[in-house]
Amino acid sequence: MPFEQVNGKVVSVPVAPGREVLARRGAMLAYTGQVQFAPVRASAGGMGGMAGRMMAGEQVQMMVAQGQGTVHYGYRGMYLTIIEVGQMGPLTVEADRLVAHDAGLQATLVFLGSQGGIRGAVRGAVSGQGMFTTQLHGYGTAVVLSHGGTIALPVQPGQTTTVDPQAFVAHVGQVNADIALNASWRDAVGRGSGEAIQLKMTGNGTVYVQASEQKI
Amino acid sequence: MIPVMQAFRLSGSRVLEVDLHGDAVRAAHGAMIAYTGDVAFKSAGMGGGDGLRAALKRRATGESVSLMHCSGHGTVYFAKDAMEVLLVELAGDTLKVESEQLLALSDKLSTDVAFAGLRGMSSGQGLFTTTVTGYGTAALLSSGGPPIALGVSPQFPLVVDPDAFIASQGRLNQTFVTDVSWRNLIGESSGEAFSLRFDGHGVVYIQPEER
Repeated sequence: MPFEQVNGKVVSVPVAPGREVLARRGAMLAYTGQVQFAPVRASAGGMGGMAGRMMAGEQVQMMVAQGQGTVHYGYRGMYLTIIEVGQMGPLTVEADRLVAHDAGLQATLVFLGSQGGIRGAVRGAVSGQGMFTTQLHGYGTAVVLSHGGTIALPVQPGQTTTVDPQAFVAHVGQVNADIALNASWRDAVGRGSGEAIQLKMTGNGTVYVQASEQKI
Repeated sequence: MIPVMQAFRLSGSRVLEVDLHGDAVRAAHGAMIAYTGDVAFKSAGMGGGDGLRAALKRRATGESVSLMHCSGHGTVYFAKDAMEVLLVELAGDTLKVESEQLLALSDKLSTDVAFAGLRGMSSGQGLFTTTVTGYGTAALLSSGGPPIALGVSPQFPLVVDPDAFIASQGRLNQTFVTDVSWRNLIGESSGEAFSLRFDGHGVVYIQPEER
């Protein structure tokens, strides 16, 4: 099912029976055809996922579009990036950056602490990101929000890509993100470079970075 | 190995890409969004890496330009607040730029502070601007959309709004124009009482948004 970029800030998505689309509530701009929108109560992760979501404060309300037609999505004039999820591996993104995705993609909530132990938890706390992020598994397409558009940087074995946590949007593939504290005595006396906390990406995949350090 | 000129590239219109091969680049504090390879970041210090005299002048004038020094091997990506990036080549000439619109500089370029005239009083940018001189590339920022380059020649002087001004390059004489009349006193102004006038030969860059 092709997701189509209308311009930098609007995507159009065809909807058909058996081809439902999940989207952030309120992100629909316009639609053609016979499309119904219904709130999604239990998240795709089932009861466990829902409990996790409530605990994590990831209260992004989603809705499902079903029927036959084409829906246009956009959110607060921010830039949208279409990301294909497939054999490369899962897509990891903060829930509030996720605008729409194929209902066929399985969404789970990941506690960062389980990924990198205590460092993972520290990463969430320090970088200002949630301690929990959403992971999408399976085959399909997802749309993520960014401030100022994204650039895609490859992550390959033997070459680390390092990202500013505030500019980080999402990563796809078998990518492991680890916080790196690059602070020195200069930061302690207020003469740092402003790049003390960094996210080191290792593995195999792609990381998406936005052209700004602003949050959603 | 002597690199001829550091390659500044644009990735899209809002992200600047710079390759480092053991050399260095200076960029606005905190503007790094990502890098590959092994790159170290440290504050360029009070003077922005231009020595004690520049540091003292900045202290005195309040025209603070906080730069960081990035060195190592790899590719660094810079961006700031989703603003459009503009690359300006300098071949020994001088670029006058608003300090907050400066994204990155080749390491060979030097910066200083210059008196900008009275225009600072209206634009709130301080009375001093940053000057960049030398050989290399400077990356500037334009907020609200792509920047606009306007040519200035002796027959065609240019008047711009100080709030939209980004930078000027060339042999330009900058004067401050006021158009204050009795209307301003009773609150009936047009909102364009203060302008910047450029005479001479050169280019002036403006942005499609007023600060």
